[in-house]
Amino acid sequence: MAIRSQLLKGILEGCILAIIARETVYGYELAVKLQNQGLDVSEGSIYPILLRLQKEKLIQGELRKSPSGPNRKYYRLTDAGQESLLTFRENWENVKKPVDQLLRGKEEI
Amino acid sequence: MQSLIAENNEKRKLLNKENKKIYEDMLMYVRLSYNKSETETEEVLMELLDHLLILQQEGRDASELFGDDPKQYANEIVGELPQMISKKLIMLFFMGVFYFLGVATFLNGLVSVIFHYGFGLLESSQTYYVGTISINTLLSLGIAFILVYAFIRYISWTCFKDVSKIFELLFTGIVFGALPFGTFLALFYFMPSFGPSITIEVYWLILIGICFYLLGSFFKRKA
Repeated sequence: MAIRSQLLKGILEGCILAIIARETVYGYELAVKLQNQGLDVSEGSIYPILLRLQKEKLIQGELRKSPSGPNRKYYRLTDAGQESLLTFRENWENVKKPVDQLLRGKEEI
Repeated sequence: MQSLIAENNEKRKLLNKENKKIYEDMLMYVRLSYNKSETETEEVLMELLDHLLILQQEGRDASELFGDDPKQYANEIVGELPQMISKKLIMLFFMGVFYFLGVATFLNGLVSVIFHYGFGLLESSQTYYVGTISINTLLSLGIAFILVYAFIRYISWTCFKDVSKIFELLFTGIVFGALPFGTFLALFYFMPSFGPSITIEVYWLILIGICFYLLGSFFKRKA
């Protein structure tokens, strides 16, 4: 359970960084975008991750008036966040192909 | 910060009954994590409230946000909140100490003055022994802090639970009322007198109480 959820959390973190890299978003908007990508995560799970990414200074939140009125907290990527996203992308590319092959049962020995 | 809390109070009125219950438990539970950064705490509480309001408009359930175990979700949030800076925590500690001393001394003085000048009971002055009063003050402060801590733990425990009113009344009455009150009385009754003695007029206690309280406010502003 622990390893599985750690793995998923790490991947979700990477996806969140990728979305925020494209545009500044607020919490609910981010949840919708993740779901539109087909990532079936519980909507609440983004908030602990957003808190952690802020603590690690990978993203920065700012309270701003939204077009529809109320204050919203918009997130944008920091320089450290950009770097972290690059690292994530690299790691993902490295692991994606071998894992896919392994799961399809096409290992070449 | 205050404006965020005020905005939260206003927006919360838009929640329906079930959502309000679950959100207010969440709010209480997260705010009771007293050593976390206040700004971050209030900001994430506002985000959760905004999100919940949208779900409510769309006719969706709160469990889509908080999952099946809201308490565990609240723990996850609390676990990720950044710590309060220690300078602020120390200031709040001294604020607590001087508020407690202020109120205790003030009430002691007020009651003595009323009894003496109003009813002709008790002496117009009280004698204190420096050794005794120092030990008693330290022990009282210790008890008061344990009490506050236990009370915070108790309230967090009742979050996300339906606790019967009778149980609540009995439990809080005994544990947070009778027990500490009895301990305070026993402390002052049984502690032997030692150290040099000072005798002061009881109305001075009121003034000293106010001074302690002002000192407490000073630390509060520093925090």
